[in-house]
Amino acid sequence: MALAPVDVCIVGSGAGGAPMALQLGRAGFKVVVLEKGAHYRKEDFVHDEILNSRRNFFMPLPWDEPHLVRYSANDKYRRTNTAWTANCVGGGTVHMSGYFYRLKPIDFRMRSELGAVPGANVADWPIRYEELAPFYDLAEEELGVSGAVVPHPFAEPRKKPYPLPPLDEHPISKELDIACRKLRYHPLPTARGIISQAYRGRAACAYCALCGSYGCEVDAKSGTNSSVIPAAIATGNVEIRPRSMAQSVEVDSQGKAKSVVYLDANGVAQEQPAKVIVVSCTAVESARLLLNSTSSRFPKGLANNNGLVGKNLVFSSFGESRATFRIAKRRESWPWLSDRAPFVQRSLQDFYVMPDNRHGFRKGGTLGFMWTHPNPIFAAVRIAGSGKAAVFGKELKDRLREYRDSKILQFETYGEFLPTPGTQVTVDSSVKDKYGIPVAAITVERHPIDFKMTKFLVERGEEVLKAMEPDKLERLSTEGETTILQHGTCRFGNDPSTSVLDKNCRAHEVSNLYVVDGSFMPSSGGVPTTLTIAANSFRVADSLVRSMKRGN
Amino acid sequence: MPRARQKANRFSRRVFIQRLAFFGGGVVLIGPACKRDSALETQSKSSPDAALTTSPHRTLSSVEYTIVAAACDRIIPRDEDPGAVDANVPEYIDRMLQTPEMRKIKNEFVPGISALNRRSTRMFSKGFAEITDAQRDDVLSIFKDSPAGSGEARFFELLIVFTMEGLLGDPSYGGNKDRVGWALVGFDTSEPPPQYDGMKHLHLHGAR
Repeated sequence: MALAPVDVCIVGSGAGGAPMALQLGRAGFKVVVLEKGAHYRKEDFVHDEILNSRRNFFMPLPWDEPHLVRYSANDKYRRTNTAWTANCVGGGTVHMSGYFYRLKPIDFRMRSELGAVPGANVADWPIRYEELAPFYDLAEEELGVSGAVVPHPFAEPRKKPYPLPPLDEHPISKELDIACRKLRYHPLPTARGIISQAYRGRAACAYCALCGSYGCEVDAKSGTNSSVIPAAIATGNVEIRPRSMAQSVEVDSQGKAKSVVYLDANGVAQEQPAKVIVVSCTAVESARLLLNSTSSRFPKGLANNNGLVGKNLVFSSFGESRATFRIAKRRESWPWLSDRAPFVQRSLQDFYVMPDNRHGFRKGGTLGFMWTHPNPIFAAVRIAGSGKAAVFGKELKDRLREYRDSKILQFETYGEFLPTPGTQVTVDSSVKDKYGIPVAAITVERHPIDFKMTKFLVERGEEVLKAMEPDKLERLSTEGETTILQHGTCRFGNDPSTSVLDKNCRAHEVSNLYVVDGSFMPSSGGVPTTLTIAANSFRVADSLVRSMKRGN
Repeated sequence: MPRARQKANRFSRRVFIQRLAFFGGGVVLIGPACKRDSALETQSKSSPDAALTTSPHRTLSSVEYTIVAAACDRIIPRDEDPGAVDANVPEYIDRMLQTPEMRKIKNEFVPGISALNRRSTRMFSKGFAEITDAQRDDVLSIFKDSPAGSGEARFFELLIVFTMEGLLGDPSYGGNKDRVGWALVGFDTSEPPPQYDGMKHLHLHGAR
C-alpha cells in the first residue's frame, strides 16, 4: 500500500538533492527526501582511518553493491567500488575536501567558442554563466564558503565577496606564489567549502587536517549534512528518510511520474507518491535508477525513449605529481616547514583555456596545490610499493622514517573530460546488488586529447614544484579520471532529440520529473563541480517553486 | 605492439590506484584467490577441536597465528624503533579477519598462511616459524616476486596491507600498541575520544 502522498519526493540528499529540499520546504511544500545511507551526526565522525577510508562506513563494498567498470567496450567488466560517493545523508559532500570553485563563462559555451572536437560530443549549455551566477552567490551563502577574491586575469565575474574570510595558510603558500610568479603564472587562493569563522550556528574549522574522505566532527566543512539539510528540516516541511534505497520511479497511465518505490531500513518495499519527483543520486546512480524504471510507456527506462539516459558520461581528467621536502635539511632555510597548518590553498588557472591549438587542445583545467593527505596507512601502503617493486623489512622501515622527515606538496589537476560516444552508464540485469537491483555498468573510453591536455597541465605544475627545489619530484599520473566528479548522463539542452532534460532540468519526456545532480552537465568544466551542482539545484528550485505556486 | 602494451600498462596502473584507494576494492575480484590448501582443510576437518577450539585467537589457529607473527616481524622488524610485533599487528590481523567485511579477504589470506609454511618446509625442511630471519626473507621474497594475480603475490600484498593497517590504524582495533606506528611515521593528528571502539563503531552503522 502506498504511503501518504507529498508534494515532492527527492531521491538523494547531496549537493543536488539538499538545496531543492530546502527551497521547496521554505516555500511551504511538503517534501520527503529518500537517502539510501544512514544519517550520521557529527559525533559519528571520528579520526579513524580504518573506519572512514578503508571500510564501508561511507562507500559500499564492491561485492555488496558493485559498479561494473571497463575501460573499453571490448573488455570484460570488473566489479569495483569506483564512482561511488558517500552513502549517507549529505552524500559526497560529507567526505569531500571542499574545493569550491565556480565554472567560468567559457564552460557554458565550449562548442560555439572553441568549436567541435572530432570524436567528442561537445555541446553548449542551454544557459549562460550569468544565469547561474546569482545562484552561485546563494549556494556560497547557504553552504558557507571561505575565500579571498583577488584580481586575476582568468577570474570569472562575481558580484559579492565570499561569505567568509579565507582559512589560515601554511607558510609554504608564499613560496609557492614566488615560484609561480617566477614562471609568470598567476597563483590564486583556493576557496573552500569550510568555514573559517563561526557561521549560522556552526563552529569554525579546527584545522585538524582530515577533510577529504572524513566527515567533519565540528560541522565546519560545508557538506549539505552540516548546512542545508538542518535548515531544510527546520522549515518543518521536509522529512529526511535515511536507509531508503530507491528501486524505481513509477509512472501513471499518462506517463507522468507518480511515485518512488524504495526499500526501507528493514528491507520492506514502500511506495511514496508525490506530485513532483526529483532524482539526485549522482550521475551514475541516477542514470541507473531511471534505466531500471521501465514501464510500457518507457520500455527502455524512464525519460529514455530517445535512448540518451546514461550516455555522455563525463568524469574529470586527473593528473598528479608530488614534491618532497626533507624537514631536517631545511631546518635553517625553512624553519617553518614542519608547521602543522594543513592548508596550502593555491590554484593555477592559467591553462584553463588555451589561445590556440598549438599544444593539441583548447580547453584545459585547473591545478590545485595541497599537502598530501595525512592518512598514514594510505601513505605507508604506497611507500611499500607493489608487485616485484615492493619492499619490506629494513628498507621499508627506512622509507617510513624518511616519510616522517618529509613534507610532501602535491598538485592535482581538474581537467576537462571530453564526452565520447563510448563513455556511458548502462544497467546489467545479470548482476544485482544486495538489494536485488540491477547494478550500474560503466564503460570509459577516453578521448586522446584528454591525456595530451592532462600531461600538459602536469608538466606546468611540475615546473612550479621544480622551481621550489624539492628533494624529490615524482609524477603519479597523467591519464587518470576522478570518478567521484561525475556528470552528463542526463544532459540538459533545448533540443529533446539530443538531450534528456530541458534548461530547468525537467525531463523532456516526463513533465513532473527533475534530475539535479551532476547528470545535467554536458561538460565537466575544469574545476571540481560540487559548488556548481549545488548552485544549479538552487536555480532549478527557484523555477520549480514558481511553477508549483502557479499550480503547474 | 607498443600501443597494446601501453594500454595494458595503463589498465594495471588504474587497478593499482583503485586498490590503494580502498583496501578490498576491485582487486579482490580481479586477482584469483589463493588455492584452498587441502592439507589445512583436512587438518581442521579431521581434528577441529585440536586445531581450532584450543586456539586462544579469534580467527587463526595457534600455528597460523605464529606464522603470521613471524611474517609480520619481517615486514616491519624491530630495530632502534619498535616493529610490527611490538605494535601487536598479529593481534590486529586476527581480530580484523573476524569482521563481516573481511569475509572474502579472509578466504584468500588464511590459505596463504599455510602456502607460506609449505614453501618454507619444501625449501628448508622446517616450518616458517622455525627458520631463520634470512630464510624467512627468502620465502617472503619468492611470494612477493610471484606473477601478478597468483595466490602468492596476492597473499604478500594482503600481508603488507594488513601489517600497515595494524601498525598505523586506530589502537582500538588491537594494533598500533602505545601508538608506536604513529610515532614511526610522525602522525599526530587528534584522536577519537578515549572510550572509542572502532570495531563497534564500524558495525553500529555498517549493517545496512
